[in-house]
Amino acid sequence: MRSTGERIAEFAAGTLTAIVFIILYAPLIIGVLFSVVQIRQGRILWETFSVSPYVTLWSNQSVLSALSNTAIVALASVVIASVLAILLALYTEWEGAIGRRFIELVIYLPFLLPPIVTGLSLLVSSAQLGINRGLLTIVVGHTVFVLAVAYRLVLTRLQALPKSLVEASFDLGAGRWQTLRYVLMPHLASAVMTGAVLALTLSFDETLISTFVAGDQMTLPLRLWAMMRVGFTPEINALVTLVLLVSIAFALIAAWRLRPKGEVEED
Amino acid sequence: MAGRLSRWLVFAGVAAIPLLLVVAPIGTFLAISMFRAEKHIMNYTPTVANYAEFFGNWTYFGTYLGTILLCFQVMALSILIGYPMAWFIWRQKGSRRYYLLLLAVVPLFMSYIVKLYTLRSMLGLNGLISQMLIGIGILEKPSQIFLFNQRAVLITMAVIYMPFVILPIFLALERIPRSLLQASFDLGASGWDTFRRIVLPLSLPGTIAGALFTFVLALGDFITPQMVGGTTGFTIGRVIYSQFGLAYNWPFGAAMAAVLFLTALAGIVLAGIAMSRQKI
Amino acid sequence: MALELNEVSKRYGATTVLQPLSLEVANGEFLTLLGPSGSGKTTVLRLIGGFTAPSGGRIIFDGDDITAMPANRRPFNTVFQDYALFPHMTVAQNAGYGPLVQRRNGPEARKLVDETLEIVGLSALRDRYPSQLSGGQKQRVALARAIVCEPKLILLDEPLAALDASLRRQMQVFLKQIQRRIETTFVFVTHDQDEAITMSDRIVVMSQGRIEQVGTPKDLYYRPQTRFVAGFFGDNNLIEGVVAASGDRVETRLGNFPLAAPAAGGCKVLMGVRPEAMRIGEGAIAIPADVEEVMFGGAMTRVLLHAVAAPATKFDVRLAGDGRGQALAAGDRVCVSFDPADAVIVAD
Repeated sequence: MRSTGERIAEFAAGTLTAIVFIILYAPLIIGVLFSVVQIRQGRILWETFSVSPYVTLWSNQSVLSALSNTAIVALASVVIASVLAILLALYTEWEGAIGRRFIELVIYLPFLLPPIVTGLSLLVSSAQLGINRGLLTIVVGHTVFVLAVAYRLVLTRLQALPKSLVEASFDLGAGRWQTLRYVLMPHLASAVMTGAVLALTLSFDETLISTFVAGDQMTLPLRLWAMMRVGFTPEINALVTLVLLVSIAFALIAAWRLRPKGEVEED
Repeated sequence: MAGRLSRWLVFAGVAAIPLLLVVAPIGTFLAISMFRAEKHIMNYTPTVANYAEFFGNWTYFGTYLGTILLCFQVMALSILIGYPMAWFIWRQKGSRRYYLLLLAVVPLFMSYIVKLYTLRSMLGLNGLISQMLIGIGILEKPSQIFLFNQRAVLITMAVIYMPFVILPIFLALERIPRSLLQASFDLGASGWDTFRRIVLPLSLPGTIAGALFTFVLALGDFITPQMVGGTTGFTIGRVIYSQFGLAYNWPFGAAMAAVLFLTALAGIVLAGIAMSRQKI
Repeated sequence: MALELNEVSKRYGATTVLQPLSLEVANGEFLTLLGPSGSGKTTVLRLIGGFTAPSGGRIIFDGDDITAMPANRRPFNTVFQDYALFPHMTVAQNAGYGPLVQRRNGPEARKLVDETLEIVGLSALRDRYPSQLSGGQKQRVALARAIVCEPKLILLDEPLAALDASLRRQMQVFLKQIQRRIETTFVFVTHDQDEAITMSDRIVVMSQGRIEQVGTPKDLYYRPQTRFVAGFFGDNNLIEGVVAASGDRVETRLGNFPLAAPAAGGCKVLMGVRPEAMRIGEGAIAIPADVEEVMFGGAMTRVLLHAVAAPATKFDVRLAGDGRGQALAAGDRVCVSFDPADAVIVAD
């Protein structure tokens, strides 16, 4: 039951959506194509097909070390952020909590502020403390950045839990740790996992904070950026393709975990 | 109930983490902005000279105002394009809606650098846009007009930040109960009336959130202007970044970052006020 | 007839939610669609309101076919189950939404809104937002918004379901008063038989996408025509049996009972006796039974029993007060009795 006006509006919005999707995705597809074939004047030259850029990449020492740095940073910051998220969410939901709003604001701040502010504040303070920039400072930077997401997911789950669950556990004689271990953790586990996947994705792609705190260490996005400034090579396209595939895989896992459950269809 | 003292002890223990990791660093850079670096040697006498230099020198202050203008442009463009998209996706049903939303949100997870790179190659000299325009006959030879200017920065930012706009608007739209739309229709409202009087006001909080995201992201971005803006695309983010790199004047960079920080904070507060004024 | 549904049906894909049904609604009547969830009663309401198009059949209003007319053109307004109040508008703005979007601005529209708010007793709360109102007040706003445009028909979709018991009784009286005052046809959907009986001029009992019976509350209460209706109203005690060839008796596993009015021999029937029509003790018809439970309920005492001859046959008997000194306890063997004239016979 739609009027003509609504149909026109919907058609226009649909066309716009299609155009934006093309603008968003076409360059990515072309980038992927460029990594294996050459394109001249809008024509794909299939005879130039080659996977050699990938092979070159595999022997590129600087790329491999950037990759291992990224993996170390992502894992470390995600684990730390998840633990902190649980701790902070339990605290802010605790009835005796002081300064709940303030703590929440501080947790969300690095996510709301321009990354340049987070990045350079960490840079300046670590310099003042005499800490050398490197993997440690990158991990700290990523942790404060992804903490907001992990915290939000854990908190939402915690708030959805009926209070009576914890009370029942205490009533049955369980102590604080037993309640946490046997009642809360099983319920929080999947939210923590979803948060971890999202955080992993964010850390994997983080560039702006890393720029400030990396020092002479390189993460994958930083390495890519450095390569791009030098010029265009099929190798870059190969690396771009790999990074894209990993990002999309993470995104799909996250989307699958957050998918709407039991949607009711109505006309 | 835990006693007063133990509550404060727990607070101190828990709050120490975000205070140490977030508040202290911000405090440090704000403090640094009050000092001077003279020939790479720090002078720890508090002064507002860095701020005076920033506001007094049009090279810096003009860049700052230009960046603010750019942020508003990016915000407007993103909302103008993102709102109809979110609305369109919201109007779809079942799995089609979910997949369209996925298409809109997945770029959120894709590497920022990768998106920049591919967009740049599309806008560039031998990029898709040029090639297409040559194909239709509008252009005669490959052109550089789409790259290395403020317009390129604007378009690229709008495209890259688009998912940050679509997602909150979509979520706000989705929170509108169907029965409200039916009630409006039932009372004799046309589709346009329903949109103007019900859908639009109720999706305003999401729209404000989306606008805030793009504003703040555009404000601090220093890589996009460099990658697609070339020498003309100077933003305050780039200037700050250079103070921590080549120019190597941390206190001055920190002062400019402090202005940026306050601008972002003002944006967050304004958006917060605008959202809380919504009677929902 | 004001509104007429003519062989209207509704299917979603392969599932039929509404069998072809015909129904007439008279001007100014309070008609209730009653049935359990999934009976199709809300679908009928949505079809009348124009929120769903029928898969077959026609809807006629005042002689005009309105089957294809969209909801915003129909002179009907709906009170939604969740009230569907616009959260960003005040009480007065909610009530004034209809006139506003129908471009009926100006002083007379404002006067209309004021009058309507007066009728529902909300004048003092006109500048409140829905989030600042109680459930009953929200209900009144929803009603005000629906009646302000003076529709020919008001559709109410389980409007009292979200209210607590005492408020619900207040609102039942209130709705009835409003209906009498504005002299408009009400089509009311509920799953609560008490609500239906107390409020309606006529009730349409629905089950599994079909109409079971249409009638006045008394018709349905005293003369149910189907097993479903007999079971749905007021905890009838049902005894299965067959009419004897002579047509004046029903033969059951509990014995043979005389009929108040003759019926066709050989029919399978249900004999229904209301709990308040049953007694404990000897009578014209007496069935030995064991007491299972005695529950004191204030104005009456409820006794649950089962027949000695067929333990699967349960009886629900209501005794006035605390049971008039009948000291009953679980396990007692007694007789339940009733007058054949109080029994209804329903074809099974």
